[in-house]
Formats: sequence, structure tokens, C-alpha cells
Amino acid sequence: MSRIGFTTTIPIEILIAAGKTPADLNNIFITSDKSQQFIEDAEVDGFPRNVCGWIKGIYAAVLESGIKEMIAVTEGDCSYTKALMEVLSMGGIRVIPFAYPLDRDPQSLKAEIEKLMAHFHVGWQEVNAAKERLDRIRRKIREIDRLTWEENRVSGEENHYFQVSASDMNGDPDRFEAEIEAFLEEAAARKPFEDRTRIAYIGVPPIFSGLYPFLESLGARVVFNETQRQFAMPYDTPDLVEQYRRYTYPYDIFHRLSDISEEIDRRHIDGVIHYVQSFCFRQIEDMVIRRRLDLPVLTLEGDKPSRLDARTKIRIEGFLEMLGEKHPMVNS
Amino acid sequence: MTIDTTMKIGIDLGSRKAKFALLDGGAIVRLADYDTVTFYKRFGRVIEDDLLLDLAGSGLFSAEELAVASVTVTGYGRNTISMRGARVISEIRAHVAGAIVQTGLKNFTLLDMGGQDTKVALVKGGRLADFVMNDKCAASSGRYLENMASILEVSLDELSSHWEEPVPLDSTCGIFGESELIGQILRGHPVARLCAGVNQTLVKRVLPMLKRFPGEKLVLTGGVALNKALVRLLQTETGMVSIVPPHPQHNGAIGCAFLGSGD
Repeated sequence: MSRIGFTTTIPIEILIAAGKTPADLNNIFITSDKSQQFIEDAEVDGFPRNVCGWIKGIYAAVLESGIKEMIAVTEGDCSYTKALMEVLSMGGIRVIPFAYPLDRDPQSLKAEIEKLMAHFHVGWQEVNAAKERLDRIRRKIREIDRLTWEENRVSGEENHYFQVSASDMNGDPDRFEAEIEAFLEEAAARKPFEDRTRIAYIGVPPIFSGLYPFLESLGARVVFNETQRQFAMPYDTPDLVEQYRRYTYPYDIFHRLSDISEEIDRRHIDGVIHYVQSFCFRQIEDMVIRRRLDLPVLTLEGDKPSRLDARTKIRIEGFLEMLGEKHPMVNS
Repeated sequence: MTIDTTMKIGIDLGSRKAKFALLDGGAIVRLADYDTVTFYKRFGRVIEDDLLLDLAGSGLFSAEELAVASVTVTGYGRNTISMRGARVISEIRAHVAGAIVQTGLKNFTLLDMGGQDTKVALVKGGRLADFVMNDKCAASSGRYLENMASILEVSLDELSSHWEEPVPLDSTCGIFGESELIGQILRGHPVARLCAGVNQTLVKRVLPMLKRFPGEKLVLTGGVALNKALVRLLQTETGMVSIVPPHPQHNGAIGCAFLGSGD
């Protein structure tokens, strides 16, 4: 079975229906023990320093993994992807563009999906069958998410891992489903966390590691991973086109914010961590987020894969202290 | 405030200076500082990930004081190092507490500018409401002023006394800013105007952070608050009343000592 890479979440139902192995290039990059090296390799090849680390990581991951064919999301993600696509196509990689329509128009989205289906020679019947298969797994992931915020039995990092992996089902839906089932059995029997502070993590997944355990060491836990949850298609929508229309990540910030606000209320969130990637256009959207959310927001910026640095830790500590501060600091 | 006769030591380990404060209850008994690197070399060592500071050997405090005083520490090593025999608190907490203690204010915006860090905090009702901090880049810090003073061959005091007719300096990078400044020297601008330009650049860099928390009063702390030109420029640019507490550089150490009452 040939592996098909992609630059961000796409309708993988099509790949599954076509008997291909889906490979989220972000996951290949960030889980590699050479992820730091990948960034350096891309820069040596000519990628500027002030370009998103994920783009450079994906570039090197494609070359390293030997993937020959990939889907590049050209609308609904950043314009860096377009240039990445051009550079990789020059290296002999077959690149298929996929565009989420800016206005979420159902006809345009359906046309994009059908174009992709035609490329992989699959029809609606096979695609819908694949969707049913994947939806079964997604429902189990939703249960992990519920155990996170409602029963407090799942850590922020576990929640992150299972949802973020849904974008490509770790390349093997059957094996991934078995992993989820084993986890669910174990987690359901756990003692609940007794954390003091409930955090929402919004923005793209972090490029640095150690955030979730660090928060937990300070009595705070992420009980909402916004984008990761989106990758797991959380709405149980029977229609495929509608599913990728409700999916918030590739569309405008206001569409995302309606989902974020709803989940903040439902999950009784105390504070929000907005992660932004260095040099990403989404850093600008931080302004909108801060204006629209009533809760305290800490904006964290990450550049390259690394452990959480001392400066970011200082800021997180200050933020958590602020959230926990019930009384004036100094009585006078 | 209840009368408190407890001796309390506060230590703020900054990137450039280690600052010390000894409080007797609410009253300041002694303030001191050391160059951070010198202090670590002479009196610091790390044993099993714990920082040990030889406070007795430093001569900053008497044996009697050390025997009775609580020790509270903050600073850059906060996360990487835990200090034996001391309570460690976050920098933001220490600085906000210090500013409240020193000014008696409860509602203000705090701008703390140190060697590498610039922090802006919003304090409402004596409580930290929100804060931002420079990240990834330290071009808006005291170290920038030190570098530029050295390029201009003037003292920090001299640099800090000019705010009129600033020569515009636009580099984003504090290091490229040096060559830009050299170019402006070649054009024959007077040193006073170049000094004003350096101060103006720093103000421009912190303004976006300050604009997040508009208010009436701006409390300035950290070593950079000793720069009178900067204080004046900030007042003009923000329209806020700038207040520099009596000991801006020791603000974090005072805050630490104050919070070290064993609550």
C-alpha cells in the first residue's frame, strides 16, 4: 500500500477508500527523533530562518521518509504551503492541491472533495463506507475527550495524542483503534485528577514538548485541546461534505471562536493558553481572540522543536499564579 | 498593616545583577547588589540540581540576621534551579508585590525592564490581572542600552539624560542596531541626539506591550527605570503618569522579602 502524505488534515476517508496509507506529514516530522535536524536541513537547503518551523519540518520529513505523493492544502492553511509544494514538486514529488473554500460554500467544497476522489479513482459509496469505519474510531476518541473534561481521568497530553493522531489514524486505523480501546479500558478505571485549574489550549499543536506535564506539575490541566479535537472530527456529522464544512481549523477565526466559546463554557475553563507558531499568520488572530474571549489568555510562541524553555515556564507560572490568585497580593 | 518584626531576606537573581533586600517587618533595613556572574562565581554552587548560595560568605548579612530571617528568591534561574533553604516564587509575583509595597498603589500598569526581560503587568485592586513579557528577543531590554552606550562611548548616566530631538533608529535587531548607530555617528549627528534616539527606540519597542493595558498610572521598575530620559519619553508617548518607586532596581528583591512572611 502506498503512503500518501498531507500537509494538514484532509478528508482521509478518500485515502482509506482508495486503499492508501495516510501519513500526516506534521506527525512524521514532530515525532521523529531527528526533528531538530530536519529544521537545520531545510535551512541548509535554503529555507529562510524566519519561516514557520512546521513547513521546514514537513519539507525535510518528505525527503527523509521517501514519500512520493502528497496532498498540499493550498487554501485554508498558510500560503507557505504553496511554495513548499513548488519546491517539493521540483524534487520529483507528486503534489496534489486541495483547497478549503474560504466562504465554506458547500458546492465548492464538494467539488474539491470530488476532485480528490477522482484523482484516487474512488466513488461516494466507497468513501462513505470508509467514513463509517473512521467514525467508529472517532466516537471512541470522543469518549477519551469526555473522560478528560467531564470525568477528569485523562491527562492533557493523552488527550492531545489521541486526537491529533486522528488526522491520519497513525497510518493504520485497525491498530490505532485497538490502542484506543486498550487506553479507554485503563483510563475509565483511574482515579480522577484533582487539579485546581482548568486550561483550554487553543491554536495549532505545540512544536515544543513538555507543556502538558509542566502544567500538571503546577496543579493545572488542559481539558480542551481545540485544534487536536477538530482533527478528530468531533461533531458526528452523517454527511461528509458537511463534516468538513463544520470542521473549524481551515476557516475564519470567527467560525473557530464559536466552537471555542461553546467548549470553554461546557468544560468550565479557568484560563486559555493560545499557542502561536513563530512567523505564522495566526499570530495576528491573537488580537481577535483576546478581544473576543472574556477569560485570561496567555499567548505562547514556539519556533523549533525543543523542550519547553525556561522563559516560557516563567510565563506559565505567572499565568497560573494569576488564575489562582483569590486575594490581593499585599494587604496594606 | 499589623506590626511585623520578622526579619525577611529577598533575593532577585537577574541576568545582570543579583539584588538583595533585608526587611524588618515592612521596613527596609538594607539593599545590596552584586554583578550576577561575579556573585555566582564567588558564592554559588550547584549540588544535585539545588543552588547553594553562601550568603554568610558574601558578607551581605550578619550571622544573626541569617539565623532568624526567612529567605525568598526569584529570578532567571527560577525554573532551572531550586534553592536550598529558600522559598522560590515567580518573578511576576515578586515584581508586582514590590511595586505595591513601594508605591502604596493598588491600580496601575507595571513596566519592569531588566537586563534581558521586559514585563508589563496590569494590577487591579492589588491583584495581578494580566501580564505580557518579551519573548524570543531581548532588544527591548537594559542590555540594549548598555551595548549602545558602549558604542557611543558614553556612560549609562549620560545616555539616560537625553530625550530631545531623537535621531530615528529603526533596526528590529538590537545587534544590527549597532551598525545603524555607527552609520548615524558618521553622518555627524550630535551624541545627545543619538542618545535620545537610542532611548526612543526602546520606548517604541515596549509601546505595543504597554498599549495592551491602558490606565492612568504607569509604575516603572528594574534597572532601566533609572533612565530619566526613558521615563520622560514614556510619559509623553503613553499619556500615563509615570511613577518610579524609590528603589526600582531592588523592586523584585523587596517584593520577595515582603512575600516571605511565611503565609
